[in-house]
Amino acid sequence: MSRASMRCPGCGSSNIVDDDLYCQAQLVCADCGSVVSEGSLAEESFNGPDISYSRTTAVTRKPCVNLIQGLERVKEISRILRVRREIEELALTYYKQAYEHETFLHVTLQRKEILGGCCVLASCRQQRWPITVGTISCLLNGDPAAVGEVYQEMIKVLNIQAPTFSVTDVMEAHCQEYKVSPGHVPEELAEDSKGLTKRAIALVELAADSWIVTGRQPLPIMMAAVYLAWQSLKPNAQRLKMSLEKFCKLAKVQKSKTAGTRITEMKGMLYKLGKEIPWYKEVLTPDNVVSLVGDVLQHRFSLLRRALKSHELSLLEKCPAGQVNPSSAETSSSSDVSEDAGQTPVKSSVNAEKEKQGRDGDESLKSPSEESNPQTQELTQNWGKRVLFAPPCVVNAKRKRAERPPLHVTGDEEISDSEIESYIRTPQEARDFAMMQEKLFTSNNESS
Amino acid sequence: MDESALERYFDESIIHDSDFVLEEELELQGPRRVLSSTPSAQRPSQLAPKSGATGKSGDDLDLSFLPDELSGQNEPGFSSTETKVPNDGAAGGGSDPVEERPEAPDTAASPFCVMTPMTPMTPMTPVTEGSGIVPQLQNIVSTVTLGCPLDLKFIARQARNAEYNPKRFAAVIMRIREPRTTALIFSSGKMVCTGAKSEEESRLAARKYARVVQKLGFSARFLEFKIQNMVASCDVCFPIRLEGLVLTHQQFSSYEPELFPGLIYRMVKPRIVLLIFVSGKVVLTGAKERAEIYEAFENIYPILKGFRKQ
Repeated sequence: MSRASMRCPGCGSSNIVDDDLYCQAQLVCADCGSVVSEGSLAEESFNGPDISYSRTTAVTRKPCVNLIQGLERVKEISRILRVRREIEELALTYYKQAYEHETFLHVTLQRKEILGGCCVLASCRQQRWPITVGTISCLLNGDPAAVGEVYQEMIKVLNIQAPTFSVTDVMEAHCQEYKVSPGHVPEELAEDSKGLTKRAIALVELAADSWIVTGRQPLPIMMAAVYLAWQSLKPNAQRLKMSLEKFCKLAKVQKSKTAGTRITEMKGMLYKLGKEIPWYKEVLTPDNVVSLVGDVLQHRFSLLRRALKSHELSLLEKCPAGQVNPSSAETSSSSDVSEDAGQTPVKSSVNAEKEKQGRDGDESLKSPSEESNPQTQELTQNWGKRVLFAPPCVVNAKRKRAERPPLHVTGDEEISDSEIESYIRTPQEARDFAMMQEKLFTSNNESS
Repeated sequence: MDESALERYFDESIIHDSDFVLEEELELQGPRRVLSSTPSAQRPSQLAPKSGATGKSGDDLDLSFLPDELSGQNEPGFSSTETKVPNDGAAGGGSDPVEERPEAPDTAASPFCVMTPMTPMTPMTPVTEGSGIVPQLQNIVSTVTLGCPLDLKFIARQARNAEYNPKRFAAVIMRIREPRTTALIFSSGKMVCTGAKSEEESRLAARKYARVVQKLGFSARFLEFKIQNMVASCDVCFPIRLEGLVLTHQQFSSYEPELFPGLIYRMVKPRIVLLIFVSGKVVLTGAKERAEIYEAFENIYPILKGFRKQ
């Protein structure tokens, strides 16, 4: 405020000074002493933000009790899992961040606990320390679906990326649970943990190539792999006779129901490969394939190639030469399987290259004809039956519900009165219905 | 606009200079049409004797969008530029698609754009570019305001196809047979209609529900009909490695086999959520319009196909 621009109304001088009276601001003329203007405590307008009572009166902000408890819980979970220091610290940081966010600030304590578990899960994933969602939900004593939900929200809130684990990553930790090392069980049933893990991982990788693993729960697959690995490492009569349930009791793990189906699927896959073993002269069925698992795993790439080839040949035999579509569809889906096959054994790598090129060339020529052939309509209905390996949900396709024929309407048609009337009760009907409702209501009241 | 037309012109000359026909490339660049080299005064009839053009005839030709001054300019410029255009047979000449024509006409400097009256109005569908698979709509959810408060108890008493359980849910659940749909009718007069397989079906169904409510004695109207969600599904007929897809498209995908067997892909443009399963079946949801579904599927199909070869 420029004092120069003001003039004292009393004497007209421009010599006006600030002469505050205690708290009250006053402008006073220096010459005649009249008060030019005075501020009033009440009139002063505060243009800043509204400051809440708790902020002005609080001396220090005490951290929320639940936050402290939550952090303790996160520490607990990390210690139980025996994760690395960095993982624990990262989890604590995430928890603090997520807790303060509005999505998690006013939720139930149970949800906050689940949030703690999810933070540990996210930090384990980022630091590549393999655990499953199942483990976390066991620790939290919660429902995996709820854990999943909170986890997805948390990822969004924190805006982080936590890459998931494949089954092979988690396999080693899972195998440790099985108490079948020489100390725990009799000699004939014992198996060295390292060897067991190695074979189980190889089985899981093979299963992944055959579409058994994608989209499925990892635990039953791991259990099936360990069981088959254990059986095949010493395929004597005793081991082969032991059912999954007995094996789980022996190893002191809880059996999972779907592991049985996975065992059947894996045996089916091993059977398809085992068929190609040239030195096995006896009749092979999916049941006695377990004894051959070692050989199958050792020579899996070449057996895979042979199986694909023989499958192709069998398809060509089934359908006459004119129909090239099945083989083209099959080569396209099997080329991804043969991709891995082409990788390893050096002596057969050249072979694989040639085959791969041959197949790709075949496929590109056949793809236009594939789409235009009207017969593919029926064939594509279950393409799973035509290829060597396909996801089981395709091979055992459920029957489709009878589809409604599409209505060709414009949306603005005339609606007939009679149709609408058919949806409305007649007066008599309405009365009957009302009476019945009353009767039901009263009888309910009497009985309850 | 001129630049793209010129580019296409140059593309054409390159094609002829190097004598090199890559069919895929040509088709990828969009629909190509053969320019007839016989100019004549009447435009509609020019479409008929086109060599190698699409099957569409010029009967449905509508030139009304062309500005008036252009139609005068066209005739003299037409024959001169025609000679400039190389006479290609099978390779296919280039010309603007229908949509771009209205923007072209101001400059005589690029009469090439104006040559479009020779071409069919509807673009040729590219054969190998698209996936050839059309997602089928499975469910449409729409909302309608009836504009008056409703007595739900009365409706439940009077209507045959209604159920009302206030303790469970605060709305009447009504069903009609044709089109087979379900509606949730709230006491505020708002209604949600689900189960239709197309937009028109949904609209017709909503109108029928409104008519039922009207017949029951309420002054219901049919206001603010809006499609809220569309769900479609299709099958690409080959297995998909979901683990690989989640690795390469981490920012968009979420794959948790312990929680759900499919991969959840959140596409940004258009904003659609796709559920991709190992069997090759794809579910698309979150669309407000049919075009969004088709666009989303055309976007995902090359990604999935890429995964098939790996």
